[in-house]
Amino acid sequence: MKLTISINLGGYSFNIDEDAFAELKRYLKNLELHFAEEDSASEILSDIESRMAELFKVKLTSYKQVITIADVQQAISVMGTPEDISDNEKRTAGDKFSSPGYNRMYRDPDRRIIGGVCSGMGAYWNIEPWIVRVIFLILAMMGGLGILIYLILYIVLPEAKTTSQKIEMKGDPVNIHNIKESVKKEFDTVTKKMKL
Amino acid sequence: MDLENTKAQMRKGILEYCILSVLSRNSCYASDIIRELKEARVIVVEGTLYPLLTRQKNAALLSYRWEESQQGPPRKYYELTQEGREYLDDLDKSWDELVKSVNLIRSGKKSKTT
Repeated sequence: MKLTISINLGGYSFNIDEDAFAELKRYLKNLELHFAEEDSASEILSDIESRMAELFKVKLTSYKQVITIADVQQAISVMGTPEDISDNEKRTAGDKFSSPGYNRMYRDPDRRIIGGVCSGMGAYWNIEPWIVRVIFLILAMMGGLGILIYLILYIVLPEAKTTSQKIEMKGDPVNIHNIKESVKKEFDTVTKKMKL
Repeated sequence: MDLENTKAQMRKGILEYCILSVLSRNSCYASDIIRELKEARVIVVEGTLYPLLTRQKNAALLSYRWEESQQGPPRKYYELTQEGREYLDDLDKSWDELVKSVNLIRSGKKSKTT
């Protein structure tokens, strides 16, 4: 037995398996990220959704009323992954964000204790945030210099809000593949939380 | 040099031209265009088409209207605008020239080697 979810895709309604839903959602999210720089991203996306709905529609008969993960995977192979769609543009698309290995210092909101300054610095130098925190604490006890530096950094450093900023913070090159991994990770933690 | 990359670059330029050509005969909705392009093997994955259609629409080469469909929700029918027709005429000419030039070079190369 499997749980199904009822969705509206391009104006059609479908019953879709839970795992198939997760796959479809991940795919559409990736496309959204891929077309994010396009002026009419939402229009392109809704056109693609309509087409996928058509592809799903022909899969259904009176004996088969639910969209399975195999249907979703097949539709994805027909439509193409973001990498396929951009053909070989991906090299230039990667360069547009930042060069490989380039990272910026951000405040890390996911691992913060006060303002995420220490965890962000830890991510930047690829060391444990605790090491940075201890240094700040020592500096703070020696005449309060640590507190001042912390405050300045808190104001100066931007918070890593978007997925691409979080990747930049960790020093990985920003490209579709990385973003996909991060989104997948985030998606998995959310589904895990929902199950608990 | 990467053969696949070169091929992809060639296809990409031609694809835009092919979409306009398909639409020059009559207005179609996206799935009709895809069918023709797939039959002619100029398109590999369908997703490539949609950003191109939207870009051409934004450039006022195409316009679209919603049409009722018996099978489901209304469909988007694309057609060429006057500007699109002129654009296509230009592309037709440059395509003919390109084919001529390429053929000239290819045949020239052959006569040298033989």
